[in-house]
This record gives sequence, C-alpha cells and structure tokens, in this order.
Amino acid sequence: MIQYIIKRFFMMVLTVLLIATLTFFLMHAIPGSPFDDDRTSNPTIQENLEKYYKLDQPLPVQYANYLKAIVTFDFGPSIKKPNDSVNSLLARGFPISFELGIITILVAVLSGVTLGTLAALRHNGIIDYLAMTFAVIGISIPNFILATLLIQIFAGELKWLPAATWQSPLHMILPTLALATGPMAIIARLTRSSMLEVLTQDYIKMARAKGLKPSRIIIRHALRNAMMPVVTIMGTMLAGILTGTFVIERIFAIPGMGKYFVESINNRDYPVIMGSTVFYSAFLVFMLFLVDIVYGILDPRIKLHKKEGESS
Amino acid sequence: MKKWLTVLFVAVFAIVLSACTANKDAGKEPSSTDGGGDAKEKVLYLNNGSEPTSFDPSVGFNAVSWNALNNLMEGLVRFNDKDQPVEATAEKYTVSDDGLTYTFTIRDGAKWSNGDAVTAGDFVFGWLHMLDPETASPAAFLAYPIDGAEAYNTGEGKAEEVAIKAIDDKTFEVKLNAPTDAFLSIITNPSFFPVNEKVATENPKWFAEADSFVGNGPFNLSEWEHDVKFVFKKNDQYWDKDIVKLDKVDWAMVNDTNTEYQMYKSDELDVSSVPAELAEQLKNDKELHVEDQAGIYFYRFNVEKKPFTNKKIRQAFAKAVDQENIVQYVTKNGEKAAHGFVTYGFKGPDGKEFRESVGDLVSLDKEEAKKLLKEGMKEEGWSKLPKVTLTYSTSPEHQNIAVALQSQFKEALGVDAKLQNVEASVFLAEQKELKHQTSRSSFLYDYADPINALESFITGSPMNRTAWSNKKFDSLIKSAKQETDAAKRWETLQDAERVLIDEAPIVPLYFYNQVSLEKSNISGIVRHPVGYTELKWADKN
Repeated sequence: MIQYIIKRFFMMVLTVLLIATLTFFLMHAIPGSPFDDDRTSNPTIQENLEKYYKLDQPLPVQYANYLKAIVTFDFGPSIKKPNDSVNSLLARGFPISFELGIITILVAVLSGVTLGTLAALRHNGIIDYLAMTFAVIGISIPNFILATLLIQIFAGELKWLPAATWQSPLHMILPTLALATGPMAIIARLTRSSMLEVLTQDYIKMARAKGLKPSRIIIRHALRNAMMPVVTIMGTMLAGILTGTFVIERIFAIPGMGKYFVESINNRDYPVIMGSTVFYSAFLVFMLFLVDIVYGILDPRIKLHKKEGESS
Repeated sequence: MKKWLTVLFVAVFAIVLSACTANKDAGKEPSSTDGGGDAKEKVLYLNNGSEPTSFDPSVGFNAVSWNALNNLMEGLVRFNDKDQPVEATAEKYTVSDDGLTYTFTIRDGAKWSNGDAVTAGDFVFGWLHMLDPETASPAAFLAYPIDGAEAYNTGEGKAEEVAIKAIDDKTFEVKLNAPTDAFLSIITNPSFFPVNEKVATENPKWFAEADSFVGNGPFNLSEWEHDVKFVFKKNDQYWDKDIVKLDKVDWAMVNDTNTEYQMYKSDELDVSSVPAELAEQLKNDKELHVEDQAGIYFYRFNVEKKPFTNKKIRQAFAKAVDQENIVQYVTKNGEKAAHGFVTYGFKGPDGKEFRESVGDLVSLDKEEAKKLLKEGMKEEGWSKLPKVTLTYSTSPEHQNIAVALQSQFKEALGVDAKLQNVEASVFLAEQKELKHQTSRSSFLYDYADPINALESFITGSPMNRTAWSNKKFDSLIKSAKQETDAAKRWETLQDAERVLIDEAPIVPLYFYNQVSLEKSNISGIVRHPVGYTELKWADKN
C-alpha cells in the first residue's frame, strides 16, 4: 500500500512535469507577446519591458528558469498585473473558486444521488420520468445560458436576489444553481442506471429475503455499490469545478481563479499561464489519486497493489 | 488498513469544510459595511470592469486603471468640464515666448492625503520615475517632447539631463525640445501625476494597497479588495474639496456587460455600459448618454501587398466604402461616420472644428470607384485583380463590420473579398509584421491634438503598419512640430490629413463614442473625448 502510494506519487510528479513542459513550448509557439498592445508600440519601451521580465533571454534559459519556478512553486510577478505575483493571484482566487466549487459539488451530489435513486426505485414510474426529463434538460442547457436566464429572472425582473458579485450567502445562490445543474443531472442519470443494475443483483434479493429494512438495503447495500461510476467521474469533475469555471465566474463577477486560465492566454501573460496550468494539473492528478483510494474503500474487491501496472 | 484510509479521508473532508466556512465569513464582511453606509451618505455605485492594472501612475496605461486614478490624484493641470486643461495642483503657469519653457507655481493648499504638502520635488520624482528605463512605463513616450527625456528613457542619457527642475518647493520648470502646442493637454494624463517622494522612498509599493496609497486628488482610496472592488472616500485634504459632492464611490469589477446591465436594472449600479445586443432597443432610452470619444475605427491597406501597391486601386476601395451604412445598420450605437482621419472635438485657433474646416475627404462614390479600379488595373497591366483578403481580430463586432465591407466591395467594385479572422494577440503581432493585406484597425488618442493621430503614419512609425511612406506627409508633420504660429500649424496639419486620405493607405469607417446608461438622479459625471472619467463634479440625489 505505502509502496503503491510512493510509486503513484512519482508518476504524479512526472505527469505534471510533462504537462508543464508541453505548456511551456506551446505557449512560446503561439505568436504574439504580452506587450502587444494596439496603443503602445514604442520599440525601446518594449525592449525595456522584455528585459524586465527576462523574456529577452534564449528559450532554453527561460525553460530552466521555469523548471526552477515549478520546483520552488514561485512563478514570479504577473506581466499584466504588475502589482501581483502569480502566487498571490492563485492564493486570492483559489479559495473563492474552491468555496463555490464545494457548495456546488455538495448540491450536485446530494440532489443528483437522491434524484437518481428515487428514479431507479420507481423505475418507469412518474417520478422516474420527471426526474429523467429534468436530468436531460439539465445536461442539455449550457450553464452560461442558465446563468444568464437566472440573473434575468431573479435579479433583473423579480429583484429577489443580487445579480452578481461575491459577498453574502445570498450572492451564492444563483451561481451555485447555474453551476450545479449540469453535474447534478449527470450524477442523477449515472446513479439511476447503476442503481437499476445493482437492484437486480443476488445479494439484494438475499438482503430482502433476510427481511432487512428497505431503507437499510438501499443505503447500505445498493447505493454503496451503485456509487462506483459516480466516483469515477467525480475526480475530473471535482478538479474542474474546484479550480473555477471561467464563464460562470465571469458572468457572476466572482473573483475566483477561473479567469486566469483564459485571460492569461489571451494576454500572453506567460508566468500566469504557467502558474495556473501547473496548479490545475497538479490538482487534477491529485484528485484522480484520491478517487483511486476511494475505490478501495467502496469496493473491497479492488486491491490497490494489483492496479500498479495500469495506473497512469 | 481500510480504517486508516477512512480516517485520512474524513480528515481531508474536515479540512475542506473548515476552509469553506472560513471563507464564508470573509465574504460577509463587505456587505455589512455596505449596509451601514446608505443612511444619508451620497454613494455612487460604478463598475470598473476588472481589477486595475496598477495605481502606479507610470504603469497602468489603460482605462481600467486611469478612470479611477484620475480621481485619486491630480497633475499640474486638469481638464475642466469643457475639455480644456486648466490649473489644478498648479495655481498658475507661464510659457516663454519661444514656447519652450513652462514654469508652474504649485498652489499653497495642495496637499497629499496624508497631510504632506505637494512640492515641485514630488513632480520631478514622479516624472523621472516614469522615464526611468527600469520602470518600463508604457506611457513614457508621452514625455518625449521634454528635452532629454527620450535619451534617458531609452538608456542613452542620464536622469540629470532631463530638463525638469524644482526651482524651489513651489516652482516647477520644464524645458521642451520643440514648441508643443498640446503640452498642457498631454500633462493632464495620469502618467504625469506627482508621486509623494517621502512615501515612495519608504515603500516603493505604496500604490499596491489602499492602506499605503497616498494621493492628492478629489478622492481617497479607502478600501481595495483585489479582484472584488475598491471604494473611494472624499478627500478632506483636497484643495478644491468644497466642489466635491459625493461622499463615497463604490467600484465593482464586473466584466460581463450583460451582468452589468442587469445589476443596473436591479439598482446595484448607478451607471452601466450598453450590451451590444441591446444597443438598438435602448437607443431612445431617457437614461442613455452618448458622448464623443476621440478615436477612430478604420482599415489599413498594406501598400506592399498586391493589389494595394497601386494608389488608384486603394482609392477605389476607399470610395467603395459606405460609412453611413455601417454606423446605421451594423454598429447601431449612434457613432459618427468618418470621412477623414482626425476626430471631432479639436478646435483650432480660429475657433472652428478641425473636422469641419477640412470637410469630408472620402465618401461613397461607386462610379468613381469603378473607374479608379479600371485605371489602376490598367496601370499595373492586370487583367484580373489579385485576391483581396480582409483580416480582423476575432470578435462578433469586428466580424459584422468585415461582412458589411465585403458586400460593399462586391456591390461597388464587383470584387469578391475573402474574410479571415485571427485571435487578437496574433492579429496584432501579424499586423505589425505587415502580414495582412488589409486589416481592421483602431486608434485612440493619447492626448487632445490632431498630431497625435496623424503622426502615426510618418515613415517608420510603429503605428504606421501599412509600409506607406510619403515624403510630403513626413515633412508636413515635421514642420507642424516645429511651428510656433498656431494658425499656421493648424493649416499644416490639415494639409497632412488631406495627403493621407488622398494617398489612401487607410480608409476611415467611423469615430468612436462613449455610450452609457446613467440613473436619472446622477449628474455631473464628465467623460472627455480624450482622457479619463471625472467624478469631481459628480452628484447623486
């Protein structure tokens, strides 16, 4: 077990390093520079700026500096926000994205699993049809449309809730709804189909035959086994939602870190591109690792040390 | 083993939850301070769009920094509500007869927000900070009319050689290398604000946080929650504080115009921009304000790429453009069609608008366009016109205009132009490398003088980006820069514009404007054609 974790950790570091290297070279392959501004194009000023950010050095030197930055996790100052270091941007944005993400995940998982279980128990009944219609709608409406719609209705027309910004619990309701609906629908569908499969298993019949309480059968025996596919998608879902989503954060003016992914690339803000990519990939890889461990807890048949060969 | 894992998992979850609740408390704070504020105070709610790049006057060269900074600090002169530079921190100024030496006297009441007196030394300090090559200020070129400034900024000269001087605490002297008519208007720009030398020496990052920020303008920076919002409070130390009516200004950072508009509708904002999709619907709204902005949307022709190597063919394409059609049916935001390069809002020594005294230099003329195209092709010996591609940076607005131009070229000239869109940063890089044939362009004025725009097209200017080079134009610009007689200078500039439009390395489309929604109880927000938002006279009832 410990050996597995160590090996896995080594693989994780390698993965992040690979992603980081790819990002570095892709980033420098696209044309444009952080100082390309329509208004300011005085060549000497540009040179001063490049010197200041060490962008005048040859690429291998920059790459070496960059590797050093990853190891020490210090990416230096942002180019477009000269008052801030990349670290301080991430330190400021991540907790907010994380907060929104956790609330979203809780809402999505709780309501998704409940909805899916109810639908499976009332298979082909009215609840099933309603829940699945709701799920299909939830999956098909992109969250930015939902977000705009929610703002228009609850802030613009009804004036019940504030339209945007991140200040009080009241401000959190609309973005959570907009962000949670999609994942909730996916989880509901997954739960339903795997529940249906589990409910036909022999051990469920056995449990029923033993005369166990239905609630105990469902929660302890059925749901636990039905959770496997949900856990599988949770890894990527968690990493994606917890590190912030560009569109939702932009629409609701939430000061999370989602915007850095997109804005930094548009601005060619190299240190921020590197910082956010490394951070995100490290986080994602760590989440996948957690998911693997949770597998073991949920299903004793999965022995972690047997998976060594196939782990990535 | 399994138990051990469960414990680990629960521990991680607990940490996650505690982090979550800690943040929730942090999030509540600003709303509680908000609640107490709206008793009798006049609080203006504005949207800055995003986090200001920097409140270092030399660094934040954009509207998101300077619209705010313009109200936190003040230079020697400030634009009045009629867009004229008038005395501000300086009580009076004199100009020598040759137009080269400016002497400013700083007013006695001029104070920093921490109580220090504003001195001539603070101006020397601030201006040298901007010109310091280490600062890498994108605005430094604005100071190049000052003798020795360019040399210092490019690393060839020394700071001591820059011709700015504090004669005593209250007297500040500047020597220019050529008479520059627009000098006073140039130094209204935030990059020419003073910097409190004592504060900046102690803390070089004085501008990064609200606590350490020291300004000398109508307002003080009282709160700055990065990426969330910042708050201004009226500055009691300001020399002209009796004019300032607002108690507080609360700036949100909402980047999405639709959200901004919804917040305006639900009274969370007092001022909003207009989402493009709603421009037509809100056209006659009572709360809509339309003001000129000194800037122009135009297309560049690359004179090194066929077919635009030929002057007549350039002219033909220029005359095939229907500017009125574009502002009326495509942009639909009340812009003025552009038939010249210099925008409205510049009055000459004769009191007349530059734009009006020159008149329309290029407008739709299909017959003439067809004729010119034929002649041009004959001159070049082409039986078929080389393929024409219009390039623009990816955005729905630019695309709509490109499509309109495409159909206008087809209609007037029978030319099938191709459209190509490129990601914004790539687009700019390619345009500077002269890779495009004809491309979408814009120009926003840095200071209020026609020469700022016209100068772009002298040979070798980094703003030229057309490969166009014309001796007559170059010499007209050069003599305008040396001219001390204001009327003559004005005529020279008008001649230069005529040459530019006649040679047609560009075709103008429309002049920018500033459109905003403002609640009816708001008054006195001044938006200059060139320059930044003024809240000094703003009021809320």
